[in-house]
Amino acid sequence: MNAVIAGISYRALLGRRRIWLLVLLPVVLIALAVLLRIVSGGSELITVEFMQKFALGAILPLLGLIAGTGVIAPEIDDGTIVHLLAKPISRPVIAQTKFLVAASMLALFAAVPTFVAAYLLINLESGIAYGFALGALVGGLAYAALFMLLGILTRHAVTIGIAYALIWEGVVGNFVPGARRFSIQQWAQTIADQVSSSSFLSSELTLGFAVTALLVVTVGAVVWAGQRLRSFSLTGDE
Amino acid sequence: MSEPTGVIHDIGYRHYGGARLGRGHATAALLVHSLRGIFGLGRTARAKIVPFLIVGVMMLPAVVSIAIMALLKQPGMTYTSYGVTMQAVLAIFLAAQSPYIVAPDLRFRVLPLYLSRPVTLWDYVGAKLAAMIVAMFLLLAVPLTVLYVGELVIDLEGPPHTGGYLTSMAGAAVYAILLACLGVAIASFTPRRGLGVASVIAFYLLTSAVSTIVSATMDSVNNYTASGWALMINPFFLVDAAVQVGLFDAAPSAPVAYPDGTSVVLQLLIVAVLIALSVIALIMRYRKAAAR
Repeated sequence: MNAVIAGISYRALLGRRRIWLLVLLPVVLIALAVLLRIVSGGSELITVEFMQKFALGAILPLLGLIAGTGVIAPEIDDGTIVHLLAKPISRPVIAQTKFLVAASMLALFAAVPTFVAAYLLINLESGIAYGFALGALVGGLAYAALFMLLGILTRHAVTIGIAYALIWEGVVGNFVPGARRFSIQQWAQTIADQVSSSSFLSSELTLGFAVTALLVVTVGAVVWAGQRLRSFSLTGDE
Repeated sequence: MSEPTGVIHDIGYRHYGGARLGRGHATAALLVHSLRGIFGLGRTARAKIVPFLIVGVMMLPAVVSIAIMALLKQPGMTYTSYGVTMQAVLAIFLAAQSPYIVAPDLRFRVLPLYLSRPVTLWDYVGAKLAAMIVAMFLLLAVPLTVLYVGELVIDLEGPPHTGGYLTSMAGAAVYAILLACLGVAIASFTPRRGLGVASVIAFYLLTSAVSTIVSATMDSVNNYTASGWALMINPFFLVDAAVQVGLFDAAPSAPVAYPDGTSVVLQLLIVAVLIALSVIALIMRYRKAAAR
């Protein structure tokens, strides 16, 4: 952890236009929750489906993508990463710091609004709010690590990340049951299911598998990102 | 004090003696260059991966439908549902490629260089927009045409669905115009490609998810008018309802019913307003960029 790098990354994420997207998504989430509550009175089934499809299925991967790639990809794009890498700071520490920045942003902009939305819909009934908040938090950690790694590996990180979240987790996961085992969204749902006692929320994966997978992806991606930065070569853009 | 003795030597540069082709040709060249770039032509191999992959995925349903028609002798996919079915793929293509045509020029601040030529601001924006429109149209029209040719060749019982094919082509044109305008306008607000991709895809994901959730909720409390209108938040259903269903009487491709027939004019108006707003936003954005 390096305070200066963390400060620079926070400024890059919160400055200028990225912040508007980071704020807009949770605001839409909470506004929709309010609308659902007013129109349909917030039943448990609707809440669970809304949190599964919208909070974990759409908002979380998007925020993960914006925060995860946002901490490192713009610097690589600009070439200013060279100044950072030229300093006598361990590269794995740079990767870890940037991951922590992205993870903290996701806790603030994804996990907290998820809790608020679920609370507005159904209060604390059946532990749904706690479950999905925890699911969003751990899922957010995994997305942050994975998308930060993608940002270091390729210049098309956002496109590839979107294709993963939309096509693999969304479309393929709906038709091919096996694909669900390799989906951060499903792991996050498994965690949510474990905390909440709601009968409408069921997951196919075991808790042990989900926790292991989340740990492996998060730690593995951060470590790989650090290793990758150690031998980083800056190539020009087309 | 002697007289200044500076002279200009002729060191033998050749002058350009050919015809000056002027504004129209410059704009057309910019359009073709942008269009080739969208599909990765004339760029590195890595830039070709994403567009080629997406074109391949767009062709899949057409190929599978032709195989079904040929082997099982059953009708394949209907033409008018193609755009709605493949909306995620179209949205990813729009998100991935529209920042490419606007972001680099904004980031490297080369707009004044373009505008020092006969090309005007409207020509520049028009060429970029037209390139994206043509790209989106091709992405949808080529698989549809392949499917239609396949249907003609296999020649199932009954007349070919020429009406459905023509309707879907009209739909594809409106899809292309609306999506390209929205996508390029959103992407133009940031000079960073990554953020541009994220913004366009966020727009699609938010509109589609919000429209699905709100319409399902309204449907559950039996408010069918509201549920139909909530679907219109998603631009894909909006075009399907306004053009394919409204103007040409195709079968709707949505989970719940669209608003009834009298609202077609209003839907068409919304499409037109969205396009106009996008173009105005683009022009304003480029006025600002050109002034720096």
